[in-house]
Amino acid sequence: MSASPSSSSIISPSSSNFLEIAAPPLYRRQAPEVAERFRKLQERPVILEVRALSKTFEGRSGPVLALDRITFRAHRREFLCIIGPSGCGKSTMARMIAGLDRPSSGEMLLDGHPVDGPGPDRGMVFQGYTLFPWLTVRRNIMFGPQVSRGLSDSEAAIEADEWIEIVGLSRFADSYPHQLSGGMKQRVAIARALANRPRILVMDEPFGALDAQTRAQMQAYLLQIWKQVDITVVFITHDLDEAIYLADRVLILDAHPGRVRELMEVPVPRPRTRDQFTSTEFTAARQHLDELIHPPAAVTVDPEATRVRRMTVVGDDVE
Amino acid sequence: MTKRKKTTWLRIRGSLTPRQHLTLGVLSFILPVGLWTIVSYVPFVWHPMMRVSDAGDASWFSAGELVDRDAFAEENARIGTLKGHPAQGTPANPVFLPPPHAVAKALFTGFTTPPARPEEPWLHQALWHSIQIIFWGFFVSSMIGVPLGIVCGAIPSIARLTEPFIEFFRYLPAPAFGALAVAVLGINDAPKVAIIFVGTFFQQVLVISNTARRLEPALLEAAQTLGASRKHLLTRVVVPGIIVDVYTDMRVLLGWAWTYLIVAELIGVSSGITFFINQQAKYRAYDKVFASIVLIGLIGLATDVLLARIGRRLFPWLPTAKRRGRRILPVETNRSGPGGSVGPDEDSLPLPQPVLAADNAVST
Repeated sequence: MSASPSSSSIISPSSSNFLEIAAPPLYRRQAPEVAERFRKLQERPVILEVRALSKTFEGRSGPVLALDRITFRAHRREFLCIIGPSGCGKSTMARMIAGLDRPSSGEMLLDGHPVDGPGPDRGMVFQGYTLFPWLTVRRNIMFGPQVSRGLSDSEAAIEADEWIEIVGLSRFADSYPHQLSGGMKQRVAIARALANRPRILVMDEPFGALDAQTRAQMQAYLLQIWKQVDITVVFITHDLDEAIYLADRVLILDAHPGRVRELMEVPVPRPRTRDQFTSTEFTAARQHLDELIHPPAAVTVDPEATRVRRMTVVGDDVE
Repeated sequence: MTKRKKTTWLRIRGSLTPRQHLTLGVLSFILPVGLWTIVSYVPFVWHPMMRVSDAGDASWFSAGELVDRDAFAEENARIGTLKGHPAQGTPANPVFLPPPHAVAKALFTGFTTPPARPEEPWLHQALWHSIQIIFWGFFVSSMIGVPLGIVCGAIPSIARLTEPFIEFFRYLPAPAFGALAVAVLGINDAPKVAIIFVGTFFQQVLVISNTARRLEPALLEAAQTLGASRKHLLTRVVVPGIIVDVYTDMRVLLGWAWTYLIVAELIGVSSGITFFINQQAKYRAYDKVFASIVLIGLIGLATDVLLARIGRRLFPWLPTAKRRGRRILPVETNRSGPGGSVGPDEDSLPLPQPVLAADNAVST
């Protein structure tokens, strides 16, 4: 194949060589600016280092290994998504990073220091709405600064109002959570977590309960906020498009037990828009994730195995 | 067709229209009172007695006396065989079932009628004394029981240390401690307060701790990730998170405290409304007995309605806050409470929710 510098190689010099010599899969091909971004990203200090983290639950028939020696690193201001099939322990992973669950073995370093138990340095946004129903939007956001930094009412209120402005809810500062829609509640939850100035923001399927349109808005919102704030995001999701749309890198977990399958660099350039959903990079990444998470065999339904008796009139067919 | 707007009265777990709400609430009072009225005023319903208006030749009747209907008929039959003058009378109910108008009259005149003997209390004095006993018993119980219940609900080790014994103790009937309470605390009001306390406290701790345990755990976890210390969790999450349910519990518990009142007031020197009722029963003034019992009910109901009204002002974050009450009996049974609503939020709530605006568009 060592083609001599002929006329054909002059027409497309780099790509043909690239294909023939390295032959990386489509999803690995990065535009130069994307590759440059990842190089810079790797140079940033490591914020979160997870080392051989395992979690065992006591099941009915003995211990069950939920997460098996998970190891990865997140760099400062990285957007890391964790995806995997259901049962891969991604929620447990989020809860362990937040300190709500304790790992059975392994360790976790935040800024190089081991962490144990929940703390204000790791903010968390849950899937369910966990706003305090008895506090107004402003007071919900004031909660963190007050309990973790001991700010006075007026100081905390000033900070809270800035965050309310950022998430665009100034008109609702004095509303109670039950008066807000689902998307607005999650915006308050994000503001509440960020008001504490955490080092990382752990988000456990935060938009899972929202309808498709609101979810799309929230994703765009989150990217805006992430761009403006010094925050590293660890985002748990089972939505592949969401992961590719948001993430710098995607950590793919296997299920039973949860193991790291791959850490994929998303080739889609930033800034991200929804128009990119049909771009070559996006579809390539999407296809790769599909293959990893939904292997073809698991999706097709074997008609013999799931034989359903006909319960309709002959001729009244729908397909 | 009239079928289109058919009102369903027996829908399972549906919500009532305001009209149904009011109608049924009023009916719940009218039905028993109506039954009482029928029994009292329709001569052929029940009326097992005869009120003698003219004794005639009956040897042992006197005018105004209540006589068993069978005995009355038997006596008249006997007089009939002797060709004497038969006794006259009208069907009547026993003395212990006064008709509604007599009770209503007693209710109004009760406060203006001086007691039969000067050393006896007036009705309002008796009632006020009872209310004080209830208040102090319930107050002292709550001062200890509510904080202890909350701590038990929040901290499992303290719950385990206290609850098994409390569980045992709450089965001991409060009146059983009457003699002991008198021996220790004397014969006046102190033992009565103590009985209310014993009757309320142990239930209270268990009820409140169970309420505290129902707090949405995700709220505690959220607070922890925001850096809340243990003290903060207790004072800034657990307490405000359950306060609405505790308030409802307290309304129910206050009702229980009233049920211990009669027993408590019999201990030592009988006092309060119990003494009043017993005295009236001795004088066979059953209209006054009924009036006093109705008064207790009215006071209880009024207290509860008042507390419910106050509750709606106290907790502005509730969806029902400050809504003008249309309820006859506003005991909120919605125990799901305000604790973090997980899942589809607006649609699942029975009350119309003021969703202020849809998400305003994002792109900046």
